[in-house]
Amino acid sequence: MKSSRSIAIAGLTALVVAGSLAACSADAGGDDGKLELRVATFPPGADQAAYDAFAEQEKQFEKANPDIDVVGLEYEWTAPTFAAQLAGGSLPDVFTVPFTDTKTLLENGQLMDVTDELQELGYSDKFNPIILDEVTGGDDRIYGFPRQAYANGLHYNRDLFEQAGLDPDNPPTTWDEVRAAAKTIAEKTGKAGYATMAAGNTGGWQLSVQADSRGASLQQANDDGSYTSTIDNDATKATLEYLHDLRWEDDSMGSTFDLDWGSINQEFAAGNLGMYTSGSDVYTALVRDFGMSPDIYGLTVIPTENGGGVLGGGDIAVMPPTLDDDIKAAAVKWIDWYYMQKLLNEDAAVADAKALSESDQAVGTPVLPVLDKETYLESQEWIAPYVNVPLDQMTGFTEGIFEQTPVGEFKGQTQPIYALMDNLVQAVLTDENADIDALLKQVDVDAQALLDQ
Amino acid sequence: MIERDAAAEALPRHPGPSKPSAAARRRRRTPVTWVRRGGLWNLAFLAPMLVVFGVFSWGPIAQAVVMSFQKTNLITPPVWVGLDNFARVLSDPNLGTAVLNTLYFAGLALVFGFPLPILMAVLMSEVRRGKGLYSALAYLPVVVPPVVAVLLWKVFYNASPDGVFNTVLGWVGIPPQPWLQSSVTAMPSLVIEATWAAAGGSIIIYLAALIAVPPELYDAAEVDGAGIWRKIWHVTLPQLRGILFIMLILQVIGTAQVFLEPYLFTGGGPNNSTLTVLLLIYRYAFQNSLGGDYGEATALSLMLAVFLGLLSWLYFKLTDRWSTN
Amino acid sequence: MTTAQGTAPATTADSITLRARLSRMTRRGRGAQEDGGDRGIVSEHERGRGGVRASMGAIHVFLFAGLVVAGLGPLLWLAKAAVTPTQDTLTQPFALWPNGIDWANLEQAWNDIHIDQYFLNTIWVAAGSWFFQLLIATTAGYALSILRPKYAPVLNALVLATLFIPAVVLLVPLYLTILHPPLIDTSLLNTYWAVWLPAAANAFNILLVKRFFDGLPREVFEAARTDGAGPFRVFWSIVLPMSKPILGVVSVFAVIAAWKDFLWPLLVLPDPAVQPLSVRLPAVQSQTELDVFLAALAISTLIPVALFLVFQRLFLRGAGLGGAVKG
Repeated sequence: MKSSRSIAIAGLTALVVAGSLAACSADAGGDDGKLELRVATFPPGADQAAYDAFAEQEKQFEKANPDIDVVGLEYEWTAPTFAAQLAGGSLPDVFTVPFTDTKTLLENGQLMDVTDELQELGYSDKFNPIILDEVTGGDDRIYGFPRQAYANGLHYNRDLFEQAGLDPDNPPTTWDEVRAAAKTIAEKTGKAGYATMAAGNTGGWQLSVQADSRGASLQQANDDGSYTSTIDNDATKATLEYLHDLRWEDDSMGSTFDLDWGSINQEFAAGNLGMYTSGSDVYTALVRDFGMSPDIYGLTVIPTENGGGVLGGGDIAVMPPTLDDDIKAAAVKWIDWYYMQKLLNEDAAVADAKALSESDQAVGTPVLPVLDKETYLESQEWIAPYVNVPLDQMTGFTEGIFEQTPVGEFKGQTQPIYALMDNLVQAVLTDENADIDALLKQVDVDAQALLDQ
Repeated sequence: MIERDAAAEALPRHPGPSKPSAAARRRRRTPVTWVRRGGLWNLAFLAPMLVVFGVFSWGPIAQAVVMSFQKTNLITPPVWVGLDNFARVLSDPNLGTAVLNTLYFAGLALVFGFPLPILMAVLMSEVRRGKGLYSALAYLPVVVPPVVAVLLWKVFYNASPDGVFNTVLGWVGIPPQPWLQSSVTAMPSLVIEATWAAAGGSIIIYLAALIAVPPELYDAAEVDGAGIWRKIWHVTLPQLRGILFIMLILQVIGTAQVFLEPYLFTGGGPNNSTLTVLLLIYRYAFQNSLGGDYGEATALSLMLAVFLGLLSWLYFKLTDRWSTN
Repeated sequence: MTTAQGTAPATTADSITLRARLSRMTRRGRGAQEDGGDRGIVSEHERGRGGVRASMGAIHVFLFAGLVVAGLGPLLWLAKAAVTPTQDTLTQPFALWPNGIDWANLEQAWNDIHIDQYFLNTIWVAAGSWFFQLLIATTAGYALSILRPKYAPVLNALVLATLFIPAVVLLVPLYLTILHPPLIDTSLLNTYWAVWLPAAANAFNILLVKRFFDGLPREVFEAARTDGAGPFRVFWSIVLPMSKPILGVVSVFAVIAAWKDFLWPLLVLPDPAVQPLSVRLPAVQSQTELDVFLAALAISTLIPVALFLVFQRLFLRGAGLGGAVKG
């Protein structure tokens, strides 16, 4: 009797202990009176080398700041969990947010004001003003540190180009040339010549990229702070008709039309895809996470016509507004040290590049400068000896990008409207008789309804 | 266990006949008598249930009703909006699509998934040898974790001519199908997988029901000169009527809440052709990156709940009558 | 856990089928014994006829071929694909290793996707859900059926009422409860409590157990009380040992439901470190090469299939009993 009850109690205790262990596993306690700073590291699934490199950097930072104990947390910005983490208070003290969501967050009062700290650090006037605008609120305060930016580019498979008899060193420069190359690749190799993302809001994202390149403007910001949806325009229509023709007239887009950021990378890395548009910084992920062989990779600028521009994006390092002053100070130190110094300071840049290249991480992937062009070009000089990406396969992009007009993503209800636009892409790719005019009109109405809420 | 004796003495006597004595009943009920009668023990045993149900069932149900009249996004404090959430859900063009798609899924699932297990069960119940082997084979798909099954079938549905199913179709001269990649074929593809995953369970249930058909009925039918088909028509199916109807309602209740297949196979696409009601609820609440519209989500859940509650009630009535028969 | 997710058919439905099944099966058992033999639609006499005999043969062939192709086929294909290089699977899905067997897939799936860790997480989820479901169902069943305080019928009705509420209604408010649980100041997000406790609020289990307890002979408890046994002792040493059959049924349901659950853990366990396989596999799909991913699927299937083959009888009896418990 006694024993049976104690077994029950022991069992319960074990479960309770296990449960609380599981509950605590996320935050190891700061034991020796040090200030614990919880910082975002990588998305889950990053490989061991990335963690080793981080551990090394963590050690260096803690050596320089002995009163701070850095705790790295796996972090990934994903739509469904972000709001919950924000509400549930489980976000790290330092994390990153894409440009698209920054405006909404800072208007909601969800980000820490860092204007004074930026000024104190003395590099607030070094930022690329277009990018600094992404983190500036209506009150002219600054709510985060822009830390990296990209422009969209046209990624192509050099291998498939060669197999199809095309010249991989002369990638297409107009959308018509893209269409011709896609058709040739599909006919000669049986692989998809061209593909575009279509699911999980990425369809809307890439539709904006391609429409903007044809001179579209998808949304208009009014003086009173409201937005007017202008998705239904000739350039968007031309983009959808273009995709429709590649799919149904040329049959050069393969057989899978529900690709998202991950699966299109997977298809490309596996050599099943000739060309697609995506962020210029995707090379790192293609090699590290998707196992692409660097030899097949080519990158050039997205063709622009009718005064179109190239859509870009990026992310900013931010803090939740709830941090106390001590942690905030530590967080600023970390952001400055971990994200910013390697852009500003030769020693930091070299140390960072060296650490990355030693652990076989990509160094030199083309990005857009978050600081002014001068500082950027200078920093490229510093790390030149450590660059391990095939820059000569990316010249189309690196030489052309500064000629193009950068465009930001539209600001009002960005992600929900991308979700609506997913359906446009899916419709033209899966229904030969899709009524593009009617679909565009409907999406415009639905988008405006979202904006008017 | 110190108060064991007192507690044992004070245990309520039940059921029925052993009522407390008249004297005891006349005595005023005080906290002391309550404890002496084992009130503490009762509470001790009920406590885990009360806590867990209070926090994770009754509480949230009440909260759902409240939330359907509020606007809240976890960030700003909730605001009363009356019937706004219901109005907005009802005016959402996606709702019509989702309801129609769900009905379409349910209808297709009925056509594919309802008769097949009955046929299989009748055949399996008639074979003499290998019944165990057949049952095991039929049940195997049910054992595969549903997520794994969907992810595996996604590979089968590869729309290229070299895809698994398209290869099989090629053997019999049918051209490759787009499967999940077309608004026309996506939904049937989902239903085929769902049927494959669930049929085994239904077969086993029908088998159990078939064994329960009293053999005398067949003997009697034979005396009247009935052949095999007439026995099936006049004895087997009428005897299965109850379970058939129940399985039908169960299937409708289940398919009205279909989520896993559209979520993992297509995410509701292409062009919303597989957007179901539950997926819409999920989208309202959890898809928006900056705090979902929880009010709309609960409003739609409640509307679905009324429909399902009616079905469940019908079901309760039927099974009650059936099991007391 | 059927309570808090929308994927499974309503809990209500499960419960009622089970109840009906239970009563029906007991009747059937009795009937079969009395009749001594079981015959089906086709009589001995008919089986002797040539046409019927030929049809029976055809049925055997049809059943065997159909079930092997539909039931076993996909799993065999998965087993083959798990050790086949991606390109072979994509271009010749039915060729048997045209370019050799790739055993490394399995090793990569185990080490890179960390199947072992997620498998362990799955076991944690299932074990905790099982424990709390049993704890709640037995204590509540005992109080409502055997101790039966005056207010028991009210509670009983409250518990039963939840059977009529489909799980989907709970999705959002339950999620908010997990974010801000009452009394304690910390979110349960990313802890197993967020899965265990809602799973334990399962009215169906209580109903099952209570009905079973209702049928236990009361004289035994009376005798124990006379011998001086307190309520806990009656519960632990008398009621529970007598209830092994129903505890077995509840256990099977609890473990299977926990193993299969997807939507709820997806919502409350966003941290990959604590996710079970069902949540993790879809998440890693796009970052994993197809052959390795198929190997991961194969490993994840192997364990439940092996369990099924070993405990076949228990599973099939449970299935016949549980009705259409799909989730």
